[in-house]
Amino acid sequence: MTEQHPDNESGARPWRRRSVLAGLAGTGVGAAALVATRGLSGSDGARSVLPEARSAAARPSDAGGFANRDESYANSSGAEQISAVQEAPPTLLYPTAAEAAAGTAVTVPTILDTSDPVVHLLRRATFGPTPALVDEVHAVGIDAWLATQLQPLTIADPEGDLVWGAFPLASADPAEVQASVGRYRWDAMLDFSAATMARQMWSNRQLYEVMVDFWANHLNAPTPGPGSWDVGGSYQRGVIRTHALGTFTDMLLAAGRHPAMLRYLTATQSTKDSVNENLGRELLELHTVGVSSGYTETDVRNSAYILTGRTVVGQDGPGPESTFRYDPDKHWVGPVTVLDFRHDNATADGGLEVGDAYLRHLAAHPSTAATIARKLAVRFVSDIPPATLVDRLAAAYLDNGTAILPVLDTLFRSAEFWAAVGQKTRRPLENITASVRALGCVPTGDIPHSVGVLHNAAFNAGQRPLGWPAPNGYPDVHAAWRSAGNMVETWNTHRMLVFDWEDGLTRPDPVGLLAGLPSATVGEYVDSLCRRLCFQAFQPAHRDALVAFLGGDPAAPLAPHLAGEDAGQAIALVLDSPYFSLR
Amino acid sequence: MTDEATPWSLHPECPDVARLGPDPTIGLLRARGARAMADRDQRTDAWRGGFTRRRFLAGAGAVGVAALGSQLVTARASFGAQAAGGTLVVVFLRGGMDGLSAVVPADDPHLAAARPDIGIPAGTLLQLDRGFGLHPALAPLHDLYARGLFTAVPAVSTPDISRSHFQAQDCLERGGSSAGTAEGWLDRVLDVTGPGTTFRSLTVGTTVTRSLAGDQSAMSLRKVDAFELHAGDADMHARTTQALAALYTGVDHPITLDVAATLDGLGTAAMMSAAGYEPASPYPEGEFGERMKEVARLIKADVGLRVACVDVGGWDTHTDHGNVDDGAVTRQLTDLGATLGAFATDLSDRLGQVNVVVMTEFGRRVEQNASRGTDHGHGAAVLLLGGGLAGGRVHGTWNGLAPEGLDQGDVPGWNDYRDVLSEVLTARLGVGAGDLPTVFPGHQARPIGIMA
Repeated sequence: MTEQHPDNESGARPWRRRSVLAGLAGTGVGAAALVATRGLSGSDGARSVLPEARSAAARPSDAGGFANRDESYANSSGAEQISAVQEAPPTLLYPTAAEAAAGTAVTVPTILDTSDPVVHLLRRATFGPTPALVDEVHAVGIDAWLATQLQPLTIADPEGDLVWGAFPLASADPAEVQASVGRYRWDAMLDFSAATMARQMWSNRQLYEVMVDFWANHLNAPTPGPGSWDVGGSYQRGVIRTHALGTFTDMLLAAGRHPAMLRYLTATQSTKDSVNENLGRELLELHTVGVSSGYTETDVRNSAYILTGRTVVGQDGPGPESTFRYDPDKHWVGPVTVLDFRHDNATADGGLEVGDAYLRHLAAHPSTAATIARKLAVRFVSDIPPATLVDRLAAAYLDNGTAILPVLDTLFRSAEFWAAVGQKTRRPLENITASVRALGCVPTGDIPHSVGVLHNAAFNAGQRPLGWPAPNGYPDVHAAWRSAGNMVETWNTHRMLVFDWEDGLTRPDPVGLLAGLPSATVGEYVDSLCRRLCFQAFQPAHRDALVAFLGGDPAAPLAPHLAGEDAGQAIALVLDSPYFSLR
Repeated sequence: MTDEATPWSLHPECPDVARLGPDPTIGLLRARGARAMADRDQRTDAWRGGFTRRRFLAGAGAVGVAALGSQLVTARASFGAQAAGGTLVVVFLRGGMDGLSAVVPADDPHLAAARPDIGIPAGTLLQLDRGFGLHPALAPLHDLYARGLFTAVPAVSTPDISRSHFQAQDCLERGGSSAGTAEGWLDRVLDVTGPGTTFRSLTVGTTVTRSLAGDQSAMSLRKVDAFELHAGDADMHARTTQALAALYTGVDHPITLDVAATLDGLGTAAMMSAAGYEPASPYPEGEFGERMKEVARLIKADVGLRVACVDVGGWDTHTDHGNVDDGAVTRQLTDLGATLGAFATDLSDRLGQVNVVVMTEFGRRVEQNASRGTDHGHGAAVLLLGGGLAGGRVHGTWNGLAPEGLDQGDVPGWNDYRDVLSEVLTARLGVGAGDLPTVFPGHQARPIGIMA
């Protein structure tokens, strides 16, 4: 049977004959479309409501609108258009991060203190600053600290290793998981998610954990989630954690062969006779070039065809269950084109290499660079990041063969990063981890229990690590997280941490927490709490609110308030405050 | 309402209040609602970086939400003929529900030919009208159909929708058009329907649904009973909320609105939690059941719920449709039917004041793929429940599945989402014809006849 492909431009099988209305004019050229520049784009561009059917856009970018979910949310209201750079500073890129920090004037309006760039850095590059960490960075300097953080294996991490080790299933390979838990049970995946949160809270390799979280959401294979009961840990370790500071090319190649991703996006059931577009589409739309690259529905189809043959060994073999296998019999053969990638794809046996060549091409594509650069800027800088920064990061990505370290180096040498104090909000997971870190809470005994309590709080607030069910990962902009329910969940978590209603974590002692800062009077206590937990003084009205909570007289002694709950509730209120919610 | 119309006194005997409504009580309600809206607008304007021409509300902004009481009171500013208390529930099925498996054009030979392995046998279908039958898993909805409380519209889409999940969902949630729409369409609905209570809109979940994203304050929570601040006894609770209100006053960031909504809602939620809730009939296990139960609870608690949004995942059935006894589609439809059936039973006669619209970003291809599933399509089936429906019929245009009439192998969008939604908005929420273009810019709404 001829290999004429039904979706090649030249031919069509009779039963896929395109309808009369499907000859789309489509004016899109793939530019990132903000709504103001787009009109209705039906098949004939007519604006009126016609009684006949409207056909679907041939390429997603023709349909106009926003390029991705987070960009759409961030533009959903005037309120949300929080942008870091109010006036363009004279210098945008510095030779070192420390010089960028020192040289950038912070002019954006914010209640957060802008005088100490170290605190800003730690709010963005860790899961929460601590006094010890602030002191450390001041002592060694920003450049040295960043250099160390970007070589995580040089950092001793006994606490991180300890809490990780408390979840043996998190380190188990698929065969071990299969032997340990009931089939399709979620135990190993839940343990991995919890162990991840534990590292976020207590590892010394903080910037590494931030990047792991970033990439895990970008190449999201939900853990827990469908298809990963035995291989989820292997995916997170072997694809994400291994390559988080490596190259995106290596990470994408690894993802493209990993059973977790192949199962999750149903590539295991995509064959030359029955291709399904799931992985082929999400690879383009989410993982790499994005809608604004202008790929067509035909590209999506061909993307899926290129990846056929990649499958996962089932229970009956051949070979160990849940391992990757390339099956040439399932691979579609013939010339393929996706955007500017072309390959003869002439043999079934060579199909795996064709797929890898395709993935390498996508990883190094300028649209991918722009997509990843923008997401990094949203994570580290602001919900609507400055275009100058995004362009600079994309260039660094391309100039360095998709390596991530040079991109991060460029980020921290950019004025836009240092100018963006207070321009992000803490999502629920970030709020909880930062609270634990700020209070210095650690497990006292049963680590899985303590972590489990916090993991549960994160789940109730909608952000259990690695848990977003759709391929696009958790939203990273404030507009998506404006939930009263989440807010109450984090407020309750603050009180839980202070009053230890659940067992297993050390309890912050109100005066001990302050480690020598003055606390004899109500006023001193309030000021010291703000400094200790938020690294700054609060504005007078807010400081007054806390003093009012403690009786209203700043000169009054603190001691009476230590007898009951007041002093502890004040700690929770500081964590509830906007000085902690914003970062 | 402009500043000039906003009375400064909330005293029931103040003549300014009295002139706002047919009786002092109504006037007072409207006055409070207007003050709340003005305060919210003032906060909005403040963090936009400038003050507008609105006169600064002396005292109201500075003291914060506590001054306005724990519950804003409903004030039907649109003063429509529709009785107060109508609720629109939007259930969004994420992933692309296969309309052809739910509302099945049973007598269409092209469907049988295109789906030899995953078709729904005609003998199992529950008869609707115009040759359509309901998937047997939706039996609870068929019962409602017999009572005029359920209907469906097949082949629904809008021109700007593509086959990308994200793009299609985003386009639909912004109102079905890519032009000139940044907020969610339900945000604009709240704008035109005017002031209301803190719970006038709600996403039941942990993020805010895109259709409600915008400048209007929208509540989002997972569960009423979990929406409770664990701050000790009543005295500590009061002191805590007072401190929280003060901590978020004078902060130039939209998070202040989130806090205001949270604090406003806590008092109401506390009353509801204290009262407890037993549904009239059990809901199915699972997230969707839990969430619809919360919606029913809120409706029955008379907290002024006008718009509620619930998301349901798992509809992207590229593989394993199954047959009528098993498979992904049957499982999903079983949960959908049972949950909506329980919801209808739970509301009982209050269902007459509610409409549920079940929508999805696109339907799926007519032809099955060889994984015994379907890929992304275009025209979708929309299901509607509740009061005021023109019952006993399947509505809208349907031209059959002959291949030459399809859109690249997909069901075309013979009916426009905006027409479906406009009709429901008008009948259920009293949105006037003059306000519809605000909700759906650039669209001329044409009734399909869904509402009686």
